[in-house]
Amino acid sequence: MSFLITCPTCGPRKGYEFRYGGEDKGPRPDEAGLTPEEWVEYVHMNRCVAGVSKEWWFHRDGCSAWFTIWRDTRTNLQVQVSNDGPEEQS
Amino acid sequence: MFLLPSTPLWDTSPPLKSSYDAVLIGGGLHSLATAYYLARDHGMTNVAILERRFIGYGGAGRNTAIVRANQRTQENVPLYQEALDLWPVLTRELDYNLMFYNCGNLNLCHSEAAVTAARMNIASAQFQGVGSEFLAPADVKRMVPALDVSDRPRHPIHGAMFHPPGGIVRHDAVVWGLAKGASEQGIHIHQQTEVTGIRAVDGKIQGVETSRGTINSPRVLLSAGGYSAGLSHRFLGVRLPISPLTIQAMVTQPLKPLLNHVVSSGAYHVYCNQTLKGEIATGAHMDPWPNYTTQTTAHYLKHQAEALTDILPCLRGVRFMRHWAGLADMTPDMAPIIDGNDPVEGYYLNCGWGYFGFKSCTSTGKYVAQYLATGERPEILEPFRLSRYKQHRLMGETAGAISYTPWN
Ligand SMILES: Cc1cc2nc3c(=O)[nH]c(=O)nc-3n(C[C@H](O)[C@H](O)[C@H](O)COP(=O)(O)OP(=O)(O)OC[C@H]3O[C@@H](n4cnc5c(N)ncnc54)[C@H](O)[C@@H]3O)c2cc1C
Ligand SMILES: [Zn+2]
Repeated sequence: MSFLITCPTCGPRKGYEFRYGGEDKGPRPDEAGLTPEEWVEYVHMNRCVAGVSKEWWFHRDGCSAWFTIWRDTRTNLQVQVSNDGPEEQS
Repeated sequence: MFLLPSTPLWDTSPPLKSSYDAVLIGGGLHSLATAYYLARDHGMTNVAILERRFIGYGGAGRNTAIVRANQRTQENVPLYQEALDLWPVLTRELDYNLMFYNCGNLNLCHSEAAVTAARMNIASAQFQGVGSEFLAPADVKRMVPALDVSDRPRHPIHGAMFHPPGGIVRHDAVVWGLAKGASEQGIHIHQQTEVTGIRAVDGKIQGVETSRGTINSPRVLLSAGGYSAGLSHRFLGVRLPISPLTIQAMVTQPLKPLLNHVVSSGAYHVYCNQTLKGEIATGAHMDPWPNYTTQTTAHYLKHQAEALTDILPCLRGVRFMRHWAGLADMTPDMAPIIDGNDPVEGYYLNCGWGYFGFKSCTSTGKYVAQYLATGERPEILEPFRLSRYKQHRLMGETAGAISYTPWN
């Protein structure tokens, strides 16, 4: 099943128009004094939550916006969550 | 008349003991193979496989059964080469027909760059004693007359990498055969038993929590395929460099024999082979967002039909009969993570196989069993440590000629 993602500019659009941009891991670490371990944590390490997860998306075949959404990885459905809402379930 | 056996191949309801010498999480290919070799090579039979659903529920029962040993890097080839050699051996040993069909794999090149990548792959394979050769378009046509090698297709065929010793193995038979082999030696396979936690005290593994109670064990192996990374984070707070992505696959209606090799193409994002029943089994697409749904998409059905009929025009008008999806635990360097005793003593990890976990399960199970039994990492598993990512020593498999990563 394909799914919809709501772009802040274009509204709800087909999931295949977007590129997934990774789990939201907070701000990019400061490069001054950055160790390889810290960088790898930021770049590669994932929580792979089976539940609601905050993540980055890029509207590749659209307006080129980068934005975050909350999505339930067990259903692929976007979830509305208030500002710092429940990051993880189950 | 054909009679079905009245007893199952393996003991489907062994008693759940409160303690085992080793507990393997996940009833997939890697746990089953590990269990079999723990018993066969190390006399360890007080071992339990814990499976949330039923054995083969994961990638084990959903894969497209392609086996080959023409990986790109010298760290990876030996493991796959030994795995490939083991199919006929295991067929005899398990007394169960794994239906190994070594029809060879033909990987198409659609650009000069792809030809160069293939030549590189072929050279490394030959260097390691793995059969692999380059074929010009005319030879490709002779080998599979149904392929269109003219200039008409969107991506014309410039040549191919042919790997004669690879092919197809019946994936369900591997699950059943290994379960039979493990169970006959006394290993307990517990289905409908979900692991809900891993217990560790003072840096040492104590056992696992399950939906059926606590089980004590000094050794725990996490090999839950696409579920491993989520479980690692949930149980131990350890994040892994993995994305669980769905791969989709499908079969057409049965046809007369027309494909006697596995044919694959990275550019078209498609691989296919004809099953003994005559269906064209095909797949490769990965939805590039992590999820646990195993959903299929119309988007991809259409893509697959277009890709397949562009290289094999005789398939136009043929119907797809079934389609399905499964999870693949993708790592950034397309190589697995096999590690142990870090950060917890007695805790072992074998995951990140992506879409390579079927072809590799036999040899890997053998060495992971050795690792668990002795506590010492076998030489051949050395390159697959988790710490390679922290050292930025990612392996070069992503640059291989056969790559269907979501972004190519
Ligand atoms: C469509 C598709 C095509 C593929 N094609 C190929 C191919 O042609 N060649 C190839 O080499 N590989 C292929 N693969 C990849 C291959 O199937 C996997 O790499 C392989 O199955 C991984 O084996 P595993 O033992 O690690 O995990 P799996 O076989 O996935 O088994 C993991 C098991 O863990 C269980 N589990 C999960 N959570 C828990 C829990 N909490 N407690 C207990 N049990 C749990 C699951 O139910 C599952 O049964 C394909 C995969 C897919 C999906
Ligand atoms: Zn947009």
